[in-house]
Amino acid sequence: MIQDIAMIKSAAQAAHPPSVRLHQVYKAFGGKTVVDDLSIDVAHGEIVALLGRTGAGKSTVLNLVLGTLTPDSGTVRVAGLDPNANFLGLRGKLAVSFQTDRLLPWRTAVENVELGLLILGRSKEEARATALSWLERVKLGDAADKYAHELSGGMRQRVSLARALAVDPEIVLLDESFSQLDHVTSRALRADFHRIAREFSKTCLLVTHRIEDALDMADRVLVLGAPARIQLELTLTDGQRRDEQLRARLHDEIAAALGGEEHPTDPG
Amino acid sequence: MTSTHPSMPRAIAPPRAPMTERRRETIATVVVVTGLVILMEVLSRFVPDYVMPSPGTVLKAAREIFFSDTSHVFITLARLTAAVAASMLLGLMLGLVMGMKPKLRPYLRSLVVIDTGIPALSWMLIAVFWFRDPEVRIFFILCVIIIPFYALNIYDGIRALPKELIDMIESFRPSRWHVMRYLIIPHIVPYVFLTTKSVIGYAIRMVVFAELVASAAGIGSRMNLAQSTFRIDQVFAWTFFLVALNIVLQVAISAIEKVALKWRPEVSVR
Repeated sequence: MIQDIAMIKSAAQAAHPPSVRLHQVYKAFGGKTVVDDLSIDVAHGEIVALLGRTGAGKSTVLNLVLGTLTPDSGTVRVAGLDPNANFLGLRGKLAVSFQTDRLLPWRTAVENVELGLLILGRSKEEARATALSWLERVKLGDAADKYAHELSGGMRQRVSLARALAVDPEIVLLDESFSQLDHVTSRALRADFHRIAREFSKTCLLVTHRIEDALDMADRVLVLGAPARIQLELTLTDGQRRDEQLRARLHDEIAAALGGEEHPTDPG
Repeated sequence: MTSTHPSMPRAIAPPRAPMTERRRETIATVVVVTGLVILMEVLSRFVPDYVMPSPGTVLKAAREIFFSDTSHVFITLARLTAAVAASMLLGLMLGLVMGMKPKLRPYLRSLVVIDTGIPALSWMLIAVFWFRDPEVRIFFILCVIIIPFYALNIYDGIRALPKELIDMIESFRPSRWHVMRYLIIPHIVPYVFLTTKSVIGYAIRMVVFAELVASAAGIGSRMNLAQSTFRIDQVFAWTFFLVALNIVLQVAISAIEKVALKWRPEVSVR
C-alpha cells in the first residue's frame, strides 16, 4: 500500500514541481550551525510535518521558507521562487498560521480574516464575503463581529487559521499552530484543518514539537536532529493514521529518533 | 444547630451595589467645588474685594462676560483647535519617521528633546521677534510646545508595536502602505488620544499665556484687560471659564476615544 501511495505521489510530483524545495541548505548563526545540509521537497497538496525538539532549528527552516532569512549556502524555492529575493512575488501564494493567534485587537473576527484579502487588493465587498465564508468553515459564523478579547483561545486560533486560508494560498505554513491549546480543542482544530487542507488540496508544512500533531495530520513526518538535519522520515496514509497500534509504534519510533527524551504529546 | 458569632449582626443587610468609579469622581468633584466656593465666600468677608471677590460677584462678572465676550472664547477655541490639530499632524509625522527611519531617528530625536528643554516663555519672546502677525505668533508658540509631546509618544507607540504582529502582517507580503494602514496607524491611535488628553490642559494654559503676550483678542487678552482695570472678579470669572473649558474638552475627547477605541476591553486593577 505504501508503494502504491509512493507511485501516486511520484505521478503528482511529475505533474507539479515541488511547492517547497530546500536543497542542501546550510545556515549558521555566530559560528553555530543551525541547519546542516538540509534537503526537503514538499509536493503539491502534500502535508509534511517537521518534528524536532526545542533548538533543532525548526523555526529557522520556517523563516528560510518564509524568506525572512537567507541560507548561507544552498537554495530555497517556494512555488518556484526564491522567497527572499521575490518577497512580494509570493503575495497570495504563501500564508502562515502561527503558534499564537496574532489577531489584530482593533479588528473584529471577520475583519481579521479580511486582512490578507485586502492586502491582495480584493474589493471590500469581496473580502467580506470570502472572510464570512471562511468563518463559517471554521464554525465561527456567529462570532464574525466579535473582537479578539471576546473570543476563547480556541476560537481565536480558528480565526487565525481562517485568515491564513482565506487568501487561498498554494502553501500554508503552520508554526506550532495547535501547541498552545488544550488537548480537546487542539485535536478538534487539527481535524478541521486536516479536512479543509485536503478539500482544497493545500500544500502544508507543519512545524511542531508534538508527535501527535504530526501523526494526526502529516502525509510525511520528518524528524529533525540538532542542527536541523533529517534523522527519520516516515510516510503515513489517512488509513494508517486511524490504526492505533501502528500509531503507537510510530510514536515510539519518532520519540526514539528525537533522542528518547520526554516530549510533550497529546494523549487525547 | 448553628451558633452565631457575637460580633455578627442577627439580620444581615443585603449587600449594597458598589459605587461606580464615575459616580465617586462626580461626588468628589462636587464636594471640592462646594468647599472652594465656601472658602471664597468666607475669605471675601475678611479681605478687600480686589483681593478676593465673593462668589456672587464672580458669578455676576461671569454672566457679563458670557454675554459680552463670547467672541473671545471662540477666538481662543479656534486658535487652540488649529494649533492642536497641526501639532497632532506634524507630531504624528515626526513620530512615524522616528519610529520607521532608524538613520534619521537620532537627529530628529535630538531636535525634539532640545525643543522640550526650551522654556515656553523663550518661545513666546522669540515669536514676538520673528513674527509680526499675532495669529502666526500664537500658532507658532503652541505648535513648538505641543509637537514634541505627540512626536515622542507616537515614537514610543511604534516601539511598543508587538513584533508578533509585524511578523504576522509581513507573512502576507504587504506593501509599506498596507503595513501603515492596517497595522501602524490603528496601533498608534490610542497614543494620539492619550497625548491629546495629556496636552489639552497645558495647551489651554499656553494659548491664554500667548494671547496675553501677543494678541489683542482672545481670553488671554481679556484677562490682561481685566487685570489692568483692577477687575479681579473678571479674572476669577475667566479662570472659571477656562477650567470649565478644560473639563468640557476632556469629556469630549474621552467620548470620541470611547467610540474610536471601542475594541479595547474595559479592565480594572484590584
